[in-house]
Amino acid sequence: MAATASTGVGSAHELDLSCTVNGEPVRVRVDTRESLLDLLRERLGVTGPKKGCDHGQCGACTVHLDGRRVVSCLTPAVQVSGADVTTIEGVAGPDGELHPLQQAFIDHDALQCGYCTPGQIMSGLACLAEGHAGDDDEVREYMSGNLCRCGAYAGIVAAVRAVAEQGR
Amino acid sequence: MSREPVDTRRVDAREKVTGAALYATDLHPDQVAHAVLATATVGRGRITELDVSAAAAVPGVLLVLTHLDRLDLQSPGFIMGGGYGVQSMQPLLDDRIAYRGQAIAMVVAETLTAATEAANLVHAAYEQEPFAVTLDSPGVERLSQPAAIPLPFLADLDVGDAESAYAAAALRVDATYDQPAQHQNPMELIGATVFWRGDTLVVHEGTQNAGAIRNGLARQLGIDAANVEVISPYTGGGFGQKNSLQIHIAPLALAARRLGRPVKLVVSRTQLFHHTSFRPASRHRIRLGADEHGRMLAAIHEVEHQTSRHDLFPLMYTEITSRMYGVRDFRGRQTFARMDTQSPGFMRAPFEQPAAFAFESAVDELAYAAHRDPLEFRLANDTTVDPISGEPFSSRHLAQCLRRGAKRFGWSARQQRPASMRADDGSLVGWGVAVGAYPGSIVPSAAHLVAGADGRIRVEVDGHEMGQGIRSTIAILVAENLGVGVHRIDIVIGDTRVAAQHLTAGSWGTASTLGAVQAALRALREQLGADATGPVDLAAAVRATGRDHVEVRAETLGPGQTEQDIERARRGHPALSGPEFPGYSTFSWIAHFVEVRVEPSTCRIRVPRVVSVADCGRVASPVTAASQVRGGIVWGIGASLREAGEVDPRYGGFLNASLEEYPVPVNADIGTLDVDFIGEPDLRFSPVGVKGLGEVSMVGVAAAVANAVFHATGVRHRRLPIRIEDVLAGASPPA
Repeated sequence: MAATASTGVGSAHELDLSCTVNGEPVRVRVDTRESLLDLLRERLGVTGPKKGCDHGQCGACTVHLDGRRVVSCLTPAVQVSGADVTTIEGVAGPDGELHPLQQAFIDHDALQCGYCTPGQIMSGLACLAEGHAGDDDEVREYMSGNLCRCGAYAGIVAAVRAVAEQGR
Repeated sequence: MSREPVDTRRVDAREKVTGAALYATDLHPDQVAHAVLATATVGRGRITELDVSAAAAVPGVLLVLTHLDRLDLQSPGFIMGGGYGVQSMQPLLDDRIAYRGQAIAMVVAETLTAATEAANLVHAAYEQEPFAVTLDSPGVERLSQPAAIPLPFLADLDVGDAESAYAAAALRVDATYDQPAQHQNPMELIGATVFWRGDTLVVHEGTQNAGAIRNGLARQLGIDAANVEVISPYTGGGFGQKNSLQIHIAPLALAARRLGRPVKLVVSRTQLFHHTSFRPASRHRIRLGADEHGRMLAAIHEVEHQTSRHDLFPLMYTEITSRMYGVRDFRGRQTFARMDTQSPGFMRAPFEQPAAFAFESAVDELAYAAHRDPLEFRLANDTTVDPISGEPFSSRHLAQCLRRGAKRFGWSARQQRPASMRADDGSLVGWGVAVGAYPGSIVPSAAHLVAGADGRIRVEVDGHEMGQGIRSTIAILVAENLGVGVHRIDIVIGDTRVAAQHLTAGSWGTASTLGAVQAALRALREQLGADATGPVDLAAAVRATGRDHVEVRAETLGPGQTEQDIERARRGHPALSGPEFPGYSTFSWIAHFVEVRVEPSTCRIRVPRVVSVADCGRVASPVTAASQVRGGIVWGIGASLREAGEVDPRYGGFLNASLEEYPVPVNADIGTLDVDFIGEPDLRFSPVGVKGLGEVSMVGVAAAVANAVFHATGVRHRRLPIRIEDVLAGASPPA
């Protein structure tokens, strides 16, 4: 993946980092104070993960780190050394065919402005993989780390539940 | 020619679920530099010393802009004062500090990390001055609205003799209700990516008002508006906060010009609580009188709300409270309370949410005073005539909303006596009802259609997509009109390169924009020689003209509007007509039914279900409309149980400036939301039959929740939000 070789600042806080992002190898020099979110968005051009608070309070930046959901704004970039990072851009199939959860978000209108949606879907995938989509209340609880100010919660629950039912 | 079935799902959903939708600060043009703001730490005063040397010395820092640089910028003017800005006061121009959190420096660096570090190193010393930040603070200046702004639509309301009618009424309620300051908190942070292309300034910012940004920047920078392009295809939620020119854009433009490269700024969530507008705190004294049969005779609504020292954000609370019921004698008084904050502004249902909370709580109190069921009481006081203008409403199906909602909710099983219903787990059960209204407005709009020989059609139009679904309403209208699939329709909105981009707010977007699109479709049919109705084989019809595309334009106005309104809109000013039109008034209406459960030992309030039935005229897009109403209910639950900007009068500013300490509803807060529409087109108001929906959807929810809490506990709460400590304070020992 194309990436700036260094931060361009030449600060004393730099380290080299290797990881994969959506299956592609990445080698990049990072500032040790840089978050994974800022690395993805500002250096690697991977802007699906969104910044809604930068404090781990909203979930819009949710990505998968070795298959586990994390808020990338609270994940120091240096921490993903050797790890596999998956963002919303890595969810659809190679020819663009949508993941069933992406399709369910469309079918249940589980979004409005769309800004929190990448994080909701990454959390929703994890919620399914963790086995926490057994009923509506469980989904509500395990999706409560992801704020949706438009208030699309009912659709989000319906979408996650629909995919859970398909998987039975 | 066969008609393709209309796919009613949200048309831009695929981009949004794949991460392909690019918001303004997702852009990263070559050589982009990053800006971060430093802000004032005192409530009011003057900067006596500003030291940016440590900030400038951080490796990678390119520029630090402060008032010491004598920036060549004019005030944008206040959006509600003939200007374009979120407030008239442009920070960074002098040493004055008007409020805590005001920007004092903009640092620009090669990386976001360096800019953030440097902004933290900006050092300022201040001479502090006393300040006022709450409605009860000493030093607040009160101004009667009609004296301060003598405009007809902001006048006091006096119909009949409400004071005498109130004094003579057999049943009276006199109560005061408090609405705290609240913050819109759209998920997309406010921010922009800005660069110069020659003499042209290009601004990417998520906005509801690209036209104001364009014209306001022209005023601020002293350049021609034709040299400003504002592009905002996706806005990550607006809710009123993104309805004008923000204070960071002009300084960003200067920074980009000085550096000769693009600059991006994302305002932090914490800074947003002071950087831009918020819902002002307001206090409402409501007096209602009724005869012994429960016929409402008099209503008096006196309200004050906070505004800044530098701007008068108008009060329009009595506009709906005077129209909810058939009350003959009405008196409305509205008063500014000026204090030391940034200018407050619009937040979803800006006046209507607090007004309906106060008024519909008081109506509930009156219904109980009259020993009447609150639903039946409301139905008995319905009206078909606007009591203020004396003209009929163009449509009012509020009674039908109430009846249908009551049936869906199962209201007939309700017991009138408070604290009389319990759930199996011992929780107190409360059922509350309230209604809402929102004024109908229409603004000038323009549409440009380009039909291609490839069978596609491009729609360029005034309007902004903030998630409300305006793209979907346009697509459905075009698809139904021409019989083409929505996948053949390309929609360009939020872009000053294609239209003036009038403010999209006040729930006028759909009716106004669809009006223009419908007019353009009529012109297109004429150009193509097609019948006035029925499906059109676009590709064949265009080819038959011998051209590879056919284009048409249409401009539409609200009832009673003139060319002057189009000109106002072109210059980036709001140009709305309504809710009073020649011969009628237009409002959207809604009824909400809410169940709350109050856990008896912790007093935690839950809302397991809500039923809402709306009268928004014809439903232009069934999927996105239902989502709008569900979102409005969620907002109403947040307003009633969660959201308040907490103010410490000793320090100024808002204390809880984060999403952790300013809680908005999360998924687990929301139960079953049952939404329905009356769906009767209002063709008197709009040629497409559509009334506004986005805001009326939340109006009345807070009152319905508060009324349900009263029904559950027997205690009336007159201050929002209603929290555990409030319920605990009112709770009697368990029976």
